[in-house]
Amino acid sequence: MKLLRDLLDKQVVDREQVKIGKVDGLVAELRSGKPPRIIAIELGSITLARRLGARPGRWMARLAVKLGGRQHGEPHRIAWHKVKDIGIDLEFDIDVRETSIFAWQDWLRDHVIGRIPGA
Amino acid sequence: MKKLMEISLGVVTSVGGFLEVGSMATAAQAGAMFGFQLIWAVVLGTICIIFLVEMSGRFAAVSHHTISDGIRERFGFNVFLWPLLAALLVNFLVLSAEIGGVAIALEFATGIGFQWWALPVALLAWLLLWKGTFGFIEKGVSILGLVTLCFVVGAVMLRPDWTAVARSALPSMPVHDVANYWFMAVSILGASISPYLFMFYSSGAIEDRWDKSYLGANRAIAGLGMTFGGTISIGVLIVAALVLATHGVTQVDDYHQLPLMLIPIFGFWGFVLFVASLAIACFGAALEVGLQQAYLVAQGFGWNWGEDRKPRDDPGFSATYTISLVLAAIPIALGLDPLRITIFSMALTAASLPLTVVPFLFLLNDKRYVGEHRNGILSNAAVIFIIALGFVLAVVTIPLQIFGGT
Repeated sequence: MKLLRDLLDKQVVDREQVKIGKVDGLVAELRSGKPPRIIAIELGSITLARRLGARPGRWMARLAVKLGGRQHGEPHRIAWHKVKDIGIDLEFDIDVRETSIFAWQDWLRDHVIGRIPGA
Repeated sequence: MKKLMEISLGVVTSVGGFLEVGSMATAAQAGAMFGFQLIWAVVLGTICIIFLVEMSGRFAAVSHHTISDGIRERFGFNVFLWPLLAALLVNFLVLSAEIGGVAIALEFATGIGFQWWALPVALLAWLLLWKGTFGFIEKGVSILGLVTLCFVVGAVMLRPDWTAVARSALPSMPVHDVANYWFMAVSILGASISPYLFMFYSSGAIEDRWDKSYLGANRAIAGLGMTFGGTISIGVLIVAALVLATHGVTQVDDYHQLPLMLIPIFGFWGFVLFVASLAIACFGAALEVGLQQAYLVAQGFGWNWGEDRKPRDDPGFSATYTISLVLAAIPIALGLDPLRITIFSMALTAASLPLTVVPFLFLLNDKRYVGEHRNGILSNAAVIFIIALGFVLAVVTIPLQIFGGT
């Protein structure tokens, strides 16, 4: 499997098949004498901004802290050993509700969308 | 039998997507100014969109990816960003133009200025997206959209010189207003080959859970549906050529001239039919473009999406179409001329084509996505032709806008 070609930018779903984002970044561990190994995937706007360059990455991280507080200053990571299935989507054995990945969508639902009648 | 039903529904639906304020306005302008001469542009645009729609349906049915998913996954985020931004901008202008089209129809019907209708129209569209399901919107738009057939009926009743019509299916050089002629041709191509149309189609295929068994239906829907839409556009052009020009209107620069089109044929009912056609076609397109903005963002970033979910289950998705509709209503509410926005957005659509069409060449030839259902020589030749056409359009649009724009 070619990591960048086959994993990066794939759709990520949790065990309930909820779409939680795309594989925005990969975290690899460098090992002496052996090929590097993927240990986690990263999701979210900070990782995406970093792909555009170091400076956009720093700006996005600062913005995320300003909007969401300290705990949002780092990208979301999902450990690779949680991977369950690699098909059209990449399925992880996690429940998105137990992570902070959807914190902003939850905020949006609780403060805006959920307050509009018929939501 | 079930497949036959789906094909006919699909054909009628694609008419809803094809015929909108852009194709109506550009066809009417072209007909008034150049007679039948620009029919070739409608024919060429229709052939191009048939190929693109067939490919995006095939891609979705076989790979279970939408076109936006495919572009992001195949080319990476940094490349995807460009078609994403271009499509969001173009769609914003097109959505504004569609809301403007409905608002003008309401102005004709009530006498109240179009700018007052922008927000109510956006609100109604939003309400349908908020409460409706994909199937409801798809069927509603398509069945009501059949009223636009009145242009074809009108064109036939005017007894045009059919050999002249057929001759105009091939391009010819203009004898007057050269820059304007080519600008019109570019706008017609932009109105026919709309990125929102083929991107929306692939999302629709996923929403309707298409698989490989739909490949035949897909081909029929793309071919027949777009031909049907193109025929109606040609109907508009013929009516404009025979009615507007003979009443001394050779340059449609004010939308108030447009309702005149059907009156000599149908009398007062011609006015009613025109207003209904304009309102319904534009409203249907506004729903689709608004939804497409949300599909594009949600698919690009991997959020939950789907028109059949409740808004609270996909807050990011529903927030995106809400914001898109509000933003697009603003230029109309401020009183910007909808006809100008329309023509400008059609030319810009044409210029943005390379960004959205180049990926087709890669995605539809990638075995990992489409396997044995890869593009044949004909489809690839068509994509390469559309890309080349897109580049030419991108280069000539701005000069033509300056010298030929109305």
